[in-house]
Amino acid sequence: MSHAAAKTASPAGRTRDPFLLLAVPSLLLLGMLFALPIAFLLLKSFRDADGALSVAGYIAFFSDPYMLTALRRTIVIAFETTLLTLVLGYPTAFALARARGFVQTCILIAMILPLSVGVIVKAFAWSIVFRSDGVINKTLLGLGIIDEPLRLLFTETALVIGAANIFLPFMVLPIYAVIRQINPNLGPAAATLGAGPFFRFFRVTLPLTLPGVVAGAAFVFSMAVSMYVIPNLIVGERSQMLSMLIARSFLYLRDEQMGSTMSAVLLVIAAMIVIASSIILKRLSGRQA
Amino acid sequence: MNTRPPQGECGMYLDVKGITKSYRDNTVLDKLDFSVLKGELVSLLGPSGCGKTTLLRMVAGLVSADSGTIRLAEREVTTLPAHRRNVSVVFQNYALFPHLNVRENVGFGLSARGMTKAQQKVPVEEALALVRMEQYADRPISALSGGQQQRVAVARALVVAPDLLLLDEPFSALDRKLRETMQVELKALLRSRGITAVFVTHDQEEALAVSDRIAVMNAGRIEQYGGPMDLYSKPATSFVLDFVGMSMRLAGTVKSAEGRLLRISTAYGDITAPGNFIAGARVLVGVRPELISPGLPQGSPEATNRVTATLSDVMCLGAKTLIYGAASGDDCLVCEESGAYAIGLPSAGSPVTFGWRVEDTLVYPAEHRQ
Repeated sequence: MSHAAAKTASPAGRTRDPFLLLAVPSLLLLGMLFALPIAFLLLKSFRDADGALSVAGYIAFFSDPYMLTALRRTIVIAFETTLLTLVLGYPTAFALARARGFVQTCILIAMILPLSVGVIVKAFAWSIVFRSDGVINKTLLGLGIIDEPLRLLFTETALVIGAANIFLPFMVLPIYAVIRQINPNLGPAAATLGAGPFFRFFRVTLPLTLPGVVAGAAFVFSMAVSMYVIPNLIVGERSQMLSMLIARSFLYLRDEQMGSTMSAVLLVIAAMIVIASSIILKRLSGRQA
Repeated sequence: MNTRPPQGECGMYLDVKGITKSYRDNTVLDKLDFSVLKGELVSLLGPSGCGKTTLLRMVAGLVSADSGTIRLAEREVTTLPAHRRNVSVVFQNYALFPHLNVRENVGFGLSARGMTKAQQKVPVEEALALVRMEQYADRPISALSGGQQQRVAVARALVVAPDLLLLDEPFSALDRKLRETMQVELKALLRSRGITAVFVTHDQEEALAVSDRIAVMNAGRIEQYGGPMDLYSKPATSFVLDFVGMSMRLAGTVKSAEGRLLRISTAYGDITAPGNFIAGARVLVGVRPELISPGLPQGSPEATNRVTATLSDVMCLGAKTLIYGAASGDDCLVCEESGAYAIGLPSAGSPVTFGWRVEDTLVYPAEHRQ
């Protein structure tokens, strides 16, 4: 009602949607606290210590094997984390969608409640579990499966497992949201048309849940590629990720150009993932529209 | 599309025997028997929760039976999974695949049977022509109207040459005009292809319109299974009387029974009816409204019944007019006249007499209302 009224009230040819005004406060906040600092950061990556324009930072970054190793490691760990959350999260999302009443509430709470516990607390919990005298090692030793404690903490495997644990809800919830939109009769319809379980999964279930998978993967990857606290606590200095090198540049080395350069690289990676996923999502929904 | 396995001419084509299904303490189907002849169009008619959809899904292989057997086209299919039964289903909301276009939807069952896109081309075109949707082959599903979606669902179900077609409330999502058109169209199509089909519906008009035989279901049982005319003129139970068509319904008590003629007292006077009850039995009297006329009936007083009440409402429905008398409790006093009879009738509040022949009076044991 008010929508239409506002439109007709504005002068001819200049229809403005007043609902956009509702987003102004959050846009202001994002602009002041996110866009502006990011812009400064990008500018800084193109200035040397004296303030003159230079691409020395990028040249230094891309010609330093240590930096490139860190970059590759960061991407690989983020990718592995995404893959693990997908493998664990996809069936979980189905269980969540299929469950009813109390059971569903329990799974949802189990998914969402850990989000309210700080990352640092969870990362500490993991370091306790993974320690050489931690729960896993003690169990394996007690069962006689191993003779001496395994090195779990400070390995990239532990990092991926820990990160996947923390990011799991961000994979499960988008997939769950998509599953809930799917007509529950599609599976039975496919079955009565002669489609066995595999055919049903690959021709019906998977294509229809793909938008959730893409959204979840984009969430998890962009968070995993820039995670800082989790690798710090689980892996420490042994295998540096980009985020840790950025912190070192700013806090210890006072090399603002290198810090800004690495931040820019990380930002571009995350932005590419988000843009790519939204393009894929548009394609997918375009096919269904 | 006509490659169907050879059938014996006699015997049941679909034969459901002694099927029971319970969810926890709730018995949905209770030792139910149901059968369909080859080429027959049959409806399962009943209120929601009567078990009709469960029975349909069980025949399709989507729900398992606790006990009993299902035979279809000379083979036992009780434990066969849905994708190996060759039973197609048109679902209530059509359940078309939103990520596939019309052609791909219709071809889905052929793909599942291992046919390539090239091999599918001819049968898919044929099926689309059957439902007059050829020109929509490359449209996405979301661009179709409800009626078009239903046609696609029918084409998708028929293209695989099913042994049996099941339809779950196939017309409920369509508006009234379109629904009637589609009923006529679908019935003609199924007849011309010799398809054996079972409709599930809660709409008695729909069941009467599309089927050769109707199974009226209530509380997990089939109350009566017969042709539309049988159900309407000879309802086996008070449930069928109530569910199929309109009826005048009066609660009464048998005063005396002489031979096969009962004398029954009702709140509106005594009436005579044929039946087998002992004196003192509480009964429900039913009469179809078009067999009742307002005013004194023709014929001798012995062969007719009449009750008098206050006229409460006159509803002119175009082809017919319904005249209601004020009734108490669960009773319903109504008669039907063809045409716009209301002209010249006394207005609401004046007394009205309903008269009908003794032989048209139906008597059932009184039941507790559910």
